[in-house]
Amino acid sequence: MTTLLELRNVGISFGGLRAVDALSFSVEQGQIVGLIGPNGAGKTTVFNMITGVHLPTDGDIFWQGRRITGAPPHRIAALGIQRTFQTIRLFPDMSVFENVRAGCHLRARQRWWQGLMALPAQKREEAALAARTHNVLRRLQLDRFADEPATALPYGLQRRVELARALAGEPRLIILDEPAAGLNDAESAAMNQTIFGIRDAGTTVLLVEHDMNVVMNVTDHIVVINFGRMIAAGTPAEIRSHPAVIEAYLGREDDDAEDAA
Amino acid sequence: MNWVGAALWVLGLGIPAVVDTTWVSVAAVFAIYAITALSEDIILGRAGMFDMGHAVYLGLGAYVTAILNVAFNWPIFATMPVAIMLAAAVGALLAAPLIRLRGDYLLVATIGFNAIFVLAMQNNAAGLTGGSDGITGVDVPHLFSWELASQSAMFWLDWVVLGFVLLLMRNLDRCEFGRTLRYLKQDQLAATTLGVNARAAKTLAFAIGAGLAALAGSLFAVQLSTVGPTSFVFTESVTLFAIVIVGGQGSIPGILLGTALMFVVPQIFRNLAEYRYFVFGIAMIAVMVLRPQGLWPRRKRAA
Repeated sequence: MTTLLELRNVGISFGGLRAVDALSFSVEQGQIVGLIGPNGAGKTTVFNMITGVHLPTDGDIFWQGRRITGAPPHRIAALGIQRTFQTIRLFPDMSVFENVRAGCHLRARQRWWQGLMALPAQKREEAALAARTHNVLRRLQLDRFADEPATALPYGLQRRVELARALAGEPRLIILDEPAAGLNDAESAAMNQTIFGIRDAGTTVLLVEHDMNVVMNVTDHIVVINFGRMIAAGTPAEIRSHPAVIEAYLGREDDDAEDAA
Repeated sequence: MNWVGAALWVLGLGIPAVVDTTWVSVAAVFAIYAITALSEDIILGRAGMFDMGHAVYLGLGAYVTAILNVAFNWPIFATMPVAIMLAAAVGALLAAPLIRLRGDYLLVATIGFNAIFVLAMQNNAAGLTGGSDGITGVDVPHLFSWELASQSAMFWLDWVVLGFVLLLMRNLDRCEFGRTLRYLKQDQLAATTLGVNARAAKTLAFAIGAGLAALAGSLFAVQLSTVGPTSFVFTESVTLFAIVIVGGQGSIPGILLGTALMFVVPQIFRNLAEYRYFVFGIAMIAVMVLRPQGLWPRRKRAA
């Protein structure tokens, strides 16, 4: 197996708050890796550091052995890393189709002046981008909603649209921030199948999920963090019986009040 | 819509045949300001950057054409590429350090540019701008041996350039660059994580917007045959800003409607012209309260 992503002693402070501390883990190609932890454990912050939204205070992040720490988000995306957001971030004034086509941005080769002059090569590419978008929509069973305004859809479908947008760029690694949050049981089960489908199509998956049942059923490998530090790592079976994990989840009741992320 | 627009443009070519010279010049000024407002729309309406100093680029174009023509005897058409390139470069240079600013800070900074520009022109910068009086005696354009001297000929020139800019705007709607600006306007974080280089795209939007405004500025210098600092003051920038917001951001018919309201309607009510800002101010408030998306908002297209 080849290592796609590696974090080495990554840490970040916001003012006096140590949100993530000396975190190290790696993601192997073809895996579905879960990053879990109680509220405020720093999971989303880790994603933001990987995708270039936050600059780590210390430590390094490697992509296929190359150091990518501090690269801006669009460069990270160009490497083949796509993400979704915990609070869905669709383009509000656009249709489902337009949102998913946005995910093809990195595939577009046209220069701005070719677009302004509507040159034949640009028009051909427009057709190709539209075809690619429709393929992704079909793959995620969203084709029926192509012309709907994206943010008018039910929550579960909006999550699927955001996922489709991230997949449209054909990433090597997709990072999902709570893909099942806000979904009902049926939608959540469907999301599990979708995630397996993504992996089977050749994209490695790193996900944050709050819902332990979802995580246990989907992932190959789990990293557990609490208060920004890794407290355990292993297979779902190992994590389920890990004493530190049980304590973190069932421990003091005021854990939830210390939401720091 | 496209066919209606194209038909209206063709009909517009006949304006000199049906109205007198005064109205032909009103139509010419409409075309010039429509180009300027469309160029402001690229920056403000499409990319969502609060450019409150757009009259600077109109002025740059007008001054470049006037200076090169009057002081250096360049033919008008030869001055235009220089005007466009210079304004685009200035737009990109001014924008590059500022586009990371939040909207309100960018707005204040661009107001500052406008103030500096007007001051520089008034103080006869480099001994070329003619101070408060500006520059007079700008020549008419020559197309091969044809002299575009009549008001009708100048109107046709402006109208043809407007048609060209309208085509560019339509193409912008249909290309990746135009969509990229909309992604950035609607959610910059989501856009960058999809691979959009925000700084590059926004700087380019500023450069293109400034370049097109300068093209309008060249036509402006020709139409008035004189160029002075008062034509490019802050209130002109406010007007351009308001046209985009009131007309409808990212909407070509909206921008044209806004331009007509601001520059043509006051001519109809000539006696009330001094109340132009009063009437438009009331209209702006009414539109923002009752129809915040603009008078003729951008159509949401399916594909």
